[in-house]
Formats: sequence, structure tokens, C-alpha cells
Amino acid sequence: MRILLAVLAGALFAATQPGPDFRDIGKEAGLTASFPNGGEKSKEYIIETTGSGVAFIDYDNDGYLDIFVLSGDGGTNRMYHNDRNGRFTDVTAELGLTSSGWAEGVCAGDYDNDGYTDLFVTYWGQNRLYRNVNGKRFEDVTAKAHLTQDRVRYNTGCAFLDYDGDGHLDLFVANYLKFDFATTPKPGSNPYCFYRGMAVNCGPRGLPFEKNLLYHNQGDGTFEDVSVKSGIAKADGHYSLAVLAGDVNDDGRPDIYVVGDQTAAMLFINQGDGTFSEEAVMRGVAFDENGRELSGMGLASADYDGDGRLDIFRSDFSDERSLLYRNAGNGQFDDVTMAAGLARNTRFVNWGCAFLDFENSGWKGLVVVNGHVFPEVDRQNIDIHSRDHALLYRNAGNGTFEDISEQAGPAFAARHSARGLAIGDIDNDGTLEILANNQNEPPSLWKQSHRAAGHWLLLKLAGSRSNRSAIGARVAVTAGGRTQIDEVRSGGSYLSQNDLRLHFGLGSAGRADSISVRWPSGGKTDLKDVAADRILTIDEQP
Amino acid sequence: MMPATRLFPCALFALALPLLGADSATEQGVAAFQQGRYTEARRLLQDALKADPRDEHARTFLALAQAATGHCPEAVPSLADRFGNSANPDLARLAGLALVQCAVAEGETAKAVSLAVQLEARYPGDADVLYQAARVHMRAFNDATRRMFEKTPASYRVNQLSAEIFETQNKFAEAAAEYRKAIGKNPRALNLHFRLGRAILLESHNPEALALAQKEFEAELALNAEDAAAEFQIGQILNAVSKPDQALQHFQKALELSPDFAEAALAVGRMRVQAKQYAGAIPLLEHVVALEPANEAAHYSLMLAYRDSGQMDKARREQQELQKLQHPPEGEFTDFLKRLGEKAPDK
Repeated sequence: MRILLAVLAGALFAATQPGPDFRDIGKEAGLTASFPNGGEKSKEYIIETTGSGVAFIDYDNDGYLDIFVLSGDGGTNRMYHNDRNGRFTDVTAELGLTSSGWAEGVCAGDYDNDGYTDLFVTYWGQNRLYRNVNGKRFEDVTAKAHLTQDRVRYNTGCAFLDYDGDGHLDLFVANYLKFDFATTPKPGSNPYCFYRGMAVNCGPRGLPFEKNLLYHNQGDGTFEDVSVKSGIAKADGHYSLAVLAGDVNDDGRPDIYVVGDQTAAMLFINQGDGTFSEEAVMRGVAFDENGRELSGMGLASADYDGDGRLDIFRSDFSDERSLLYRNAGNGQFDDVTMAAGLARNTRFVNWGCAFLDFENSGWKGLVVVNGHVFPEVDRQNIDIHSRDHALLYRNAGNGTFEDISEQAGPAFAARHSARGLAIGDIDNDGTLEILANNQNEPPSLWKQSHRAAGHWLLLKLAGSRSNRSAIGARVAVTAGGRTQIDEVRSGGSYLSQNDLRLHFGLGSAGRADSISVRWPSGGKTDLKDVAADRILTIDEQP
Repeated sequence: MMPATRLFPCALFALALPLLGADSATEQGVAAFQQGRYTEARRLLQDALKADPRDEHARTFLALAQAATGHCPEAVPSLADRFGNSANPDLARLAGLALVQCAVAEGETAKAVSLAVQLEARYPGDADVLYQAARVHMRAFNDATRRMFEKTPASYRVNQLSAEIFETQNKFAEAAAEYRKAIGKNPRALNLHFRLGRAILLESHNPEALALAQKEFEAELALNAEDAAAEFQIGQILNAVSKPDQALQHFQKALELSPDFAEAALAVGRMRVQAKQYAGAIPLLEHVVALEPANEAAHYSLMLAYRDSGQMDKARREQQELQKLQHPPEGEFTDFLKRLGEKAPDK
């Protein structure tokens, strides 16, 4: 009865609030530089289609989120410092982050536990580990950390996670396929180089598969490649893109979920002995409900239905459904896409995605950005477009979502060829903002024209026995008769990094009855009767 | 009429001949034929036949050269004789292919179809034979279509056929327009509303298209209340718009109307699994697997049903079946293409 009342209260709360009204403030905030990523009207190679990610991180620990945007070839990745007045300043050069090449993904975590968030950037080519030096500059420590690769690889998604619970962040890196300009066939060269009768860039089918990588943090600033001995490299025959690390079977250990293009997704279940077992098919997250391999692009995780388990959303290609997998317990999932009302938008190629409570109602909705891999599709005059608008779904609190994109403000009407997406609260007002990387355009920064009406909490966790970023920590917030859970997560979305702080909308509840933290070390922290509408730092007791 | 010379791919004539004298007119004629010098070949082979009227090679190749130069009436008697009576299967095959081409050239489509059927029966794995068969059937289709457009231009069937042709070209908006015209001319004709509903679904990704298509499937049911496929499509739409209870009713109706309708049985089975009604779901899914052993969706759904009902051994068995279906043996077309993709562009 108490749960029912909570659901009713949530529904009433949502019904009485003004709808979301997102506007793109990127230009006025100073995000004016364009980020090149291959051809705009046509793309000759697949490398032009997959970049790039974005990140919200607070690199200087001033309590405000900064913005990091990755670039394809011909530009540089850029870090923008949050000036706390609605504007951001490009600090790329002074931080030592000027770069070149095909940057793909980004993930954040304090790998050396010095209190400053470090960055890992994946590339077609050599990945880069940037050590954050006291929030003043970034040092490229790739070689020093033993992360130099012996050949050109097409690295995509990444995530820091402490898979062995030793307090040091390890690193998972997804790999897409084997690609090089010299040997990859040209558009139209073989049947895998056509789309709807048009010659387009070739792949991924027809191009050789690549294997994923797991690096173990040795605690001395170096990493060891444990892909083979951990069992990660056993999984072959995938074109991997996005990575999601999280404890899907509630055993206290982080598992790794990876979606791939035109291939089955993989779920690596952490065995607790340094190895992983790939179990996506039997756990129900490899395919759609027909057992078909889809083209998985982005990933998001949340307890969308309030049952205390982490569910998974994956974004997919046009003419496919993005899928919602409900965690039925013990890490076994059911495809509930249709029942949840998410089966209707099939014309988009979806990329970055995130669960977010944009109304602070206590129920996490969904945002998805879109853009096609074949700009040539615009020549067909069909309802699939190269640049397209984003989607916003409201969580009705009863297991279903409502598409409110058309009522969500002008930001959701604008068309872009977007890829990476991240969410975070740039002005610490409890209302979330959305950042998206648009190919060959400046990035989008979407902010609501009014604050979300509900109460909220923003939790910053700091590990001591656990890794300093508290990545992998599980938090349960009970307020207004409901308990919400979430985890601190590195990576996710499409090759992007969300705010490492956890955001909880509390609806009409002005206080949280309790906050419970399960740290990666196994320790617990319990807080009672916590006032809402504030940022709360929770430190792990040594 | 297409010149018969356009009809002869040279590759057909790589035929080994018995050893003949170096200066043999037959050998020179065959060589001229193989090099595409058909007029010269005819002269040389006629000379050879004058010298030896029993020279079967000269007679066969003369007929082939005549056919190649558009002299089918002269060629056909010999070609028919060779096709029916030659002890040499290569010569018989060549004669048969030339006969088909002559029939096409003379506008005798029905005869060409009949010959193509005979050829395919005698040479079932022959690429040239299959190619000619495909061309002949296409020709027959085109001829029948043209006659229909000429003789019954106002018929609803013209619009229906136009719509079906548009569908093959993925022009679903045009197909829908033609189906609507056909329905306007004959509102009682069966299958038009169903095809229109399907074209609407294929033409648009817009969620509103679901409601439009649903109306067409309902209209089909109004004409034929026992149309299981229409019931199934309505179920699919209702499922996609999150009305699972209503969807289930339509899936069940489709299954009652057609008990071996695999997709309908699969849909009902899945919904029973979601409702944790495993005792009702599993036999149905097992039935689908028995009906269609290569149905990946059925194996996957059955695997999940076994998993959810705690029958893990059976679930693993289904997983293995699914894996076999999803990974075809080496040498299949997909592997060929994969290798193709790994080659350098200049190769």
C-alpha cells in the first residue's frame, strides 16, 4: 500500500508541474567551436561515422562541472572551464590537452587516487591516458602507464571500474573492428557497402572483427593487459561500441555490458576471481525479442521501475527498436521495450542516451540523441534523415514511458547528427543539463528554461578504502515512501562520461528518510533524515 | 525484335571438339563461331555440310550460327533435333539454350517458358540454364503485364499489380496510392486492404502510421473475418502501442483461425512467458520450433521460457540450437563477403 501511495503521489506530482522546456545555451555559454568528424554530405570510410564522445567532469575540484568535447580528425579535443556565470572558457591549450587524430570515446576516474579526476580518451590509433595534475594541467602518461598499443586499433567505448576490489581503478576498452584507410574497400565495392540501394561507406560487416581489452591497475601508476587471462578476449565476432559497467546481478561486483554494431551484445559477469564469464544470451541482453542481433550504439542504466534492480536501455540503428531490458533479478533480463512504450520511434539512428530525472519527480526519464551514419540518406527523401532531433521520454512511474519530445522545448526540435551525450548539473541547481557532441558542428548544451519543481539531492561520493572516485558505489535513497538506487559509473552513454555525482529527484519529499551507500570495498555508510535540495558529499570511512 | 546475336554469351560455347584435320572446314567454322564471326561460320559450316552431309558437328554449329545471326526459322529444326536426340549432353545443352533464345526472339514466350522448364529439369545446377530460365520467366511476366495494361487498363487489377511492382522497388508510398485506387474501384476485393496496411507500415516510421495501418487490417477483416494474417497484424500494432491485453486477443484469434501460424503462436507464447504462464507457453513455443526448426526467434523465446521456468538444461540446449542457426558453416555467402571485405581495394 505504501508503494502504491508513493506511485500515486509521484503521478500527481508530475501532473501538476509545467513540462520540460529545454533550450540550447551552447553558443551563449561559449561552446562555439565546431568539431570535425568526416564528411557532411557523404562519408567514404566508416571511421567518419562513429565519433565522438563528450564528458562532464569537474577537473579542478571547484565544485562545478567542466566540459570536455572530443574531435574527429582535423580538430582538437577541447576542455571548457565552467566560469560559474553561465559561460565556459576554452582551456585546452593551458591544460595540455591539444590533440589531433580520430578521438572516439572518453571516460573519467581517479586512477591514481590523488583526488583529481583523470581522463582516458580512446582513438582510432593510440589511446591517451591523461593524468590530472592537481587540477592545473593534464599529463599524457599513456606510455608511462603501459597503455601503449602495439598496432593501430579502433578503440571506442571505455570505462574505469575496480573489478577486483583492490581500491584501484582498472580500465575496460571496447574495440570496434580492424580498419585502415589503405585496405578498406570504397563505397559500393561489395554488397556490404550499400544502404537502401546507395553506395555508402563499407562496414561494419565485411570488415574484420576486433577484440576488447581489459587493463588491470597495478597500483603503481601502471596497467597490465589482462584481456586474455580475465576471459574478456575469449569473446570474438563482435563490433563493440558502448560500454556499461555496473553490478547487474547484485553480488557487489561490477559486471561489464558491451553493445556492438550488427552483432550480439556481451555481458561479462564478474566471477570474483579476476575472471569474467560472457553470458549475454542466457541472461537475455544479447538480442532483441526475436533473437536478432541489432546494432547497439549507446547504453544507459537505471532502476526505471523502482524495484531496486538496475535495468538497461540500449540505443540502436534505424529500422530497429532501441531496447529496454528489465532486470528480473539475479541479473536475468526481459525485453520490455514494447510494454514500456518505447517501440514506436524506429526511424532514428540512436547514439548517446541517458536516464535522467528532468522534473525531479523521482522517476528517471530517458534522453536519446540521433544522427545517421550515411549522410547520403537525405537524397532519398524518406523519413530517415542524416540530422535529426533528439527524443525525450517521461517515465510515467508505472513501467511505461511517454514520448514528449515535441513538448520538450526548442532543443528537442533542432536537428543534428549527434553522437556522444552526457548529463550533469552545470550550475548546481538540482536541474540537469544535457551535453551532446554534434558531428561537424559546435556541441549542444541544453538547459531548461525553468528549474525542475521537485526536490532533489546531488551526491558526491569520495572513496578511501575504495577507489577515490567511488566508481561502483551503490546508493539507495529513500524518500516519500520510495527507494531509488543508482551507481557511480565511469563511461556509458555513447562513448561519453556523465557527471560522476549521483542525482536523485525526490518529488514532493523535502527530506530523504535515509541514504545508504554500499562502497566497492564492501563497506557501508548509512545516513538518516537528510534535508533535500543540496549537494551532499559522502566520504567513505577509512 | 532483339538481334539474336545479342542473346549468345560467348562463355556458352567453350566446347571441346573431336580432333579434326587442321584444314577441316568444320573446325574452321566452329573456330569462327567461337570468335563471334557468325556469318563466316555459317559459310564455312555450309561448305562442310556440302562435303559431308552426315557431319553432325557442322550441322549443330551451323544451326547455332544461324540462330546467332537471327535466322531462327532455318535453325530451329536442327536445334530441336539436337536438343531432343543428341547423345552429347554439351551439344544438347547448347541447342536447348539456343532454342529458348529463338523462341524469345520470335515472340513465342509460352514456348520459351516450356523449353526453359525442360532445360532446368535436365541441367538443374547450370548457371547459364538458370539465367535463361530467369530471363524467360521475367519476359513472360512482362508480356502478361503488358497485355493486362492494354486490354483492361481500367481494372482494379492493374492498380493492384502496379502496387505490387512498386513494393518490389521499395516504393511503398506509391504502392499505397495504387492500392487505394484499386480499393476505390473494387471495395469488396480481398487482400487489398491487407496489402495497403502493410505498405503503410513499410512506408513510414511515423507512430501515426500504426493507426492508419490498423484501420486497413480491420477493413480486411470486415471482408474476410477469417483472415488470420490480418488478425496477427492488428495484434502486432496493438503490442507496439503498449496494449498487450488487446494484442493478445488478436494473436489468439489468429492462432484459432490458423493453428500452424508460427508467428501468431510465437506471439501468444511470448506473452504467456511474460505473464509467467509457463505451462501454457512452453508447449506452444515447442510447437513453433517443431513447425519451423530454423526459426531463430522461436528457439530464442523457448530458451527464455525454459530459463524463466527454471529448466536450465533445456534452456542451454535451445541456446545451442540458436547458436548453430546464427553461425552458418564456413563457406557460406556471408563468409565469402567477409573475406572480400578484407582484400585491398585494388584487388
